Formats: sequence, structure tokens, C-alpha cells
Amino acid sequence: MRLPILAAIMLAAMATGAFAADSDTITIGMTTSQTGPLNVDSLGLQQGANMWRDDVNAAGGIAVGDKHYQVRFVTYDDQSQGSRVQQLYTRLVVQDKAQFLFGPYSSGLTATAAVISEQYGALMLTAGGAEPKTYELGNKYLYQVITPAGGYLKGAVEALQAHNPHAKVALVYSDDPFSKAVLAATSEQAKKAGLEIVMNESYAPSTTDFGPVINKIISSGADSFMGGGHYSDGATLARQLYEQKANLKWISILVAPGDDKFATLGPAALGVTTGSQWEPSESYKPEFGPTGPEFVKRYRAKFKSDPDYHAASGYAGGLILQHAIEQAGSIDQAKVAAALDAMDVMTFFGRVKFATDPQHHGLQVAHEMVLAQWLMNDGKLTRQVVWPKDAASAALLYPIPAH
Amino acid sequence: MATQQVSTRIDALPRTILHRPFFWIIALAIAAFVVAPTIGNDVQLRESLLLAAVYIILASNLNVMIGYAGYVNFGSIVFFGLGGYLCVWLVGRPGFPLAVAALAGGVVVSALALVFGFGVLRLRGAYFALATIGVNEGVQAFVMNFSPWGGAAGMYLSTELFAPLGGPRQALWTIYYLLVAVMGLSLYLSYGIKVSKFGLGLLAIGQNEDAAAVLGVPTRLYKALAYSATAFLPAIAGGLYYFKSAFIQPSDAFDLTFSTEAIAIVMLGGQGTIAGPAIGAFFYEELRGWLLTSDTFSHFQLVVAGALLLIIVLFLPRGLIGTAHARWPDLRRIIE
Repeated sequence: MRLPILAAIMLAAMATGAFAADSDTITIGMTTSQTGPLNVDSLGLQQGANMWRDDVNAAGGIAVGDKHYQVRFVTYDDQSQGSRVQQLYTRLVVQDKAQFLFGPYSSGLTATAAVISEQYGALMLTAGGAEPKTYELGNKYLYQVITPAGGYLKGAVEALQAHNPHAKVALVYSDDPFSKAVLAATSEQAKKAGLEIVMNESYAPSTTDFGPVINKIISSGADSFMGGGHYSDGATLARQLYEQKANLKWISILVAPGDDKFATLGPAALGVTTGSQWEPSESYKPEFGPTGPEFVKRYRAKFKSDPDYHAASGYAGGLILQHAIEQAGSIDQAKVAAALDAMDVMTFFGRVKFATDPQHHGLQVAHEMVLAQWLMNDGKLTRQVVWPKDAASAALLYPIPAH
Repeated sequence: MATQQVSTRIDALPRTILHRPFFWIIALAIAAFVVAPTIGNDVQLRESLLLAAVYIILASNLNVMIGYAGYVNFGSIVFFGLGGYLCVWLVGRPGFPLAVAALAGGVVVSALALVFGFGVLRLRGAYFALATIGVNEGVQAFVMNFSPWGGAAGMYLSTELFAPLGGPRQALWTIYYLLVAVMGLSLYLSYGIKVSKFGLGLLAIGQNEDAAAVLGVPTRLYKALAYSATAFLPAIAGGLYYFKSAFIQPSDAFDLTFSTEAIAIVMLGGQGTIAGPAIGAFFYEELRGWLLTSDTFSHFQLVVAGALLLIIVLFLPRGLIGTAHARWPDLRRIIE
């Protein structure tokens, strides 16, 4: 009578013992902006990272030698506010014992979180901060997965120069850290390319009426436009440029055209270009992880929406960390850091390599952005990669047809 | 003869403060802030107490304007932000030591507040509140376009600047102790003002400004002095805080949410009392921190925080300490 019970207990003990041996986990900590103004942009990043975690765990975990580590996330809401970020990242390291960190969304929050990563020597992969300054301050534990701000409109300048070497460009952009950093670099790139800058002006991020700005663009004699900021101002700008018949031959806008909602602008969207960290139509041959089409297909099935580049970079961040751990054959911070330093790989997200000199340590140096353009395809607006030519999925439209 | 009388009166002031139990209660609270996180080297507790200390500094200083003089300063965060900017810039560019930079920030901001104060404090009621928002927005617009301070992109500090304080890990402890010191000074400043003739003048202004003027209170001077005095410590706190963050940008530094939170804290704790804003700030921060990281509440932490605020405003309109004072009048002698 007692025997079966005893046997059951022993079995249970064995089972839990066996389970304990198998249940090694890697804890990764991060904050996301579940509330506050950065909410929309942060969501894609988080969904991408979540999808990577689920993929890894479904495949049995990260292989380190003969061990397999399951991945566990600890996530807190930073409310899009810098004041919470340091408190929460400290908690992630100290209390939740996170072995690795993912960065928050936005350049500002990343800079604030970087201090904690430095303080505890915790590796942090950042897929949401493009501003390069943070990586030029002597931080030793940060690794930037995405192209720094200077790359956002580089393709636009190159493509424009190829089609019109004497273009007159108006640079008009939102007065925020990211947009200013991008446009400062764009201005240099345009000058170097021999383009003429006829206007260089910023507007308040909350601007909703661009009438006066557009009049100024028209009277400056510009035939090309580069600028914008985030979604709402960028979309409004595109619509009003169309309505006021600015008749520009070239329009490049940051961020907003990267969102599928941009198609709702109808004819105003036609021909508008944007610099993108990643586009679903990209077809790199990854050395590991999913291919672009696989990623898109599974993301759609999981979240019932198309992945944007934030989602792709969130997934890529996980993939890079996983690869580094596997290469290192250890979860020891120093060994994983060495693997990250040595890394030069191709993923579905593109090539990834980090600067290793002390002045720029962790800065992304290999990943290339592409230029995407809204084109009419069978009576439907679609976003296609048009530059660089070897990554293009459609021919570039220049000039934008007059209306 | 007259001089002697004045000097004995000045001497008498600190002695009476020292004899009050509340003076020692403040000292105990500061000691608790210093000791608690060192037990078991609790970094997590330190981070949480650090934010609480910042809120206590902001609320205690704001309380002098709101609770004593009856002037609702909506833009008090401008002191904190501007102090932060000055300190980060002085540490980053000319390479000043942190303590000097933070102190310089405090002095400059306080002087600016005195100048602004004379102008802005001619206004009363809602006009004054609007003007303080204007000051904040104006300073923010200036900083956004001021390229030596990084404009809209803000300023970044290298973590190497923590080296003189013993590296990033030790530096955060040093900054914490400095902030606790500023918190202690804020509480004593707030207390000292309240029991002084100056404080009495401010309270008179709060009751009825015209009557106070008739009775010989130099209202404009007093108000401007209060405005300036309560800018000093928040500016130093801002310097320490943004040095710790190693990053400052205009949209964070001059975020009106912080100001509004400080006003809510003063109201919650009990305006005009010294313990009220401090206790309000402490519980506000601990509650928010707990809700944010709680498994159950983290998804609707703002809803819970909002509901609690509403309950307190509805049922304890005088704030925690104000209500306690009304209920147990003897408590006034212990918790002021």
C-alpha cells in the first residue's frame, strides 16, 4: 500500500532533479515604454524581442556546450521617462539577476541606461538607440545593433546625386535629438556630394500646420526635400506638401513612411522615400537564424501585423546575443563580450559588426540602411527598396510626377 | 541696548528649534536614509530612496511657495532642470569637480530666480501660475536652441567622469549621500523659514496679502526671496541627479509632469506643514516604484496610482498631515 506512494515520491524527486539539471535559464532584463509618448515605437522592438525568445525556447534554448539554456525576460515599463530608467535597470541587475540587458527604446533612454550597464559591467545590446554619441563616451559594455543616426538619409543623398547631381535641397526637420543628429549628418553628406542646400531649418515637434514652412520651401527654389521627424509630423508634412503643390521632384522623410499607415495618404505618398533599418523585401542570406521571408511570415502569424524595422531590430538583437553566447561556449560576460567584439556576421537584418577601438567601442559599423520608396503597383501603393541598387526590389521613381 | 535685544532674539531662534522634538525627528529621518541602504549593501533600496529624496527636495521647497505664501508655482521644475544643465556643462566642459559645479548651479539659478521673482511675483493667483509655466517653457526654448548645451539633443557625460569619485559604482553612493544631504538641508530650510519672522511674513501673505502689506510685511521682497531661496537646493539636486544620469536633454529637464507631481505631493502630504510634503513624497515614490514592478499591478499601475490620488483628494482634502493635525491637535507639537 505504501510502496506506490513511496515510488511516486521518488519518481517525483527524480523528475524534479532531472528538471533542475535541464532548467538552466538565462535572464535578460530590459525596460520598454508601455506608456508615454514612445509607446508605439517601443512596441515593435519588444514584439520582435519576444518573438526571438519564443523561437529560442521552442527550439530547446541556447546551446552552450552540452547544456541548453532557456531564455527568460524580465520587463518593466519605463513610462518613456529617463527618471525611471536607472532605477529599473539597477533592479534588473541587482534583484532580478539579469545576466544580459537589452536597451530601451530611444537614444535618450539608451544613454541613461548605459550608465547602469557600465556600473555593473553588464552587457547591453541596444536595438533602439541610433544616436552615436553614447558609444563615443568610453562605454565598454554597450553593443549597437542598428545603424547610427548618420546613416538614415545617406542612401537618399546617394540616390538623389545619381539622378540629379545639381539638386537644390531643402532640409526641414523636427527639433528633437534624433532628427537633428540625422540631419546634421545628412547636411554634411549632401555638401560632400555636391548638392546645393537652399534651406536648413527645424520646426517644433508638435507642429501641425506646415503651411508657412512649405511656402518658404517653395520660395527657396528647392526641388528636393529631406527631413521630418517621427510619425505624425512626417505624415502631415507629406500630405501638406502635396496639397500645397510644392511640386518637388524628390521627398525623403524620416520614420513616418516606414509605417504601413503611410499608404492612407494616397497620392501624397507616391514617390516619398525613407531611410529604413530593414525592409521586409530585403533578401540577405543569413548565416544563422530565419531568412527575411520566414521572419515576416511568422511575425504576421504571431502578431497579425506586418513587422517594421523596429520589430526586426528587436529580433536581431536577440539573435546576435544568442550567436555570441554560442560562439563563446559560455555565459561568462567577458567571453561573450569577446565573441561580440570578434563578430562579423550576416543575418536576415543585414550585416552586423561592432567597432572595437576604445573611442567608438560597440558602435555599429557594418549594418547598412536601405532607401525605401512608396510606388504604385497594380493600382496599389507599396513600399519598395530602391537603393542601394543591389538590394533594390523595384526601380527608383525620379522625379515624382507633377500633379 | 537695542542691538543687544536683536542679537538675543537671533540667538534664541536656533535654541528653540533645538528644543523642539521635530528637529530631532528630521535628524532621525536623515539618519535612516543614510543607514538603511548600507545594511546588506542594498543598491536597489538606494535607487528607490534616491528618487524619494529628489521628490522630497522638490516638494519641500515648493511647499514654501504653496503652503506658506499661497503661490502655486507650476514651473518649479525649471530650477531643477537649469541646475542640472549648469552642473552637467561645468563638469563636462571646463572639467569642474562635481561639488563645485553643483553648488555653482545652485547659486546661479537662485540669483536668476531672484531676478525673475521680482517680475513674476507681481502677478497673483492663476496669472502667477501661468507665468511660472511660461518661465519654464521660455527657459526650455532657450536651452533647445543653445548649441553649447547641445540644443535639443542634450548633453552626454562620459562615465569616465565618475573616476574622481571612485568609478561608476562608488560614484552612485557618493551622489546618493550628497542628495540625502541636500534633502536634509531642504527640510531644515523649510523648517527654519517656518519658525522665523520671514516665515511668519510669508504665512501672512498666504492668508491675506493686502492685509500683510498694510501691517508692514515687505511682500514683494519676501516673495522674491522665497522664490529665490527655494530655487537653490532643487538646482543643486538637479545637478547631482543629471550628473548621475550622465545625460540631460530639454524635454526631460523641463518636463512639467515633474512639477505637477511635486504639487500633487504637497497637496497629498499636507501643504504648509513640514512633514507633510516629505511623507507625501516618500510614499508617492515608494508606491509608484512598487506598482511599476509589481507582477499584479504593473500593467495598470497608472490606473491604480490615479485612483489612490483621487481617494486621498476626496477624503483627505487637507492632506495626510493636515488631516492628522485636525484630528489630534496635540500632534502639531511633535510632527510639524
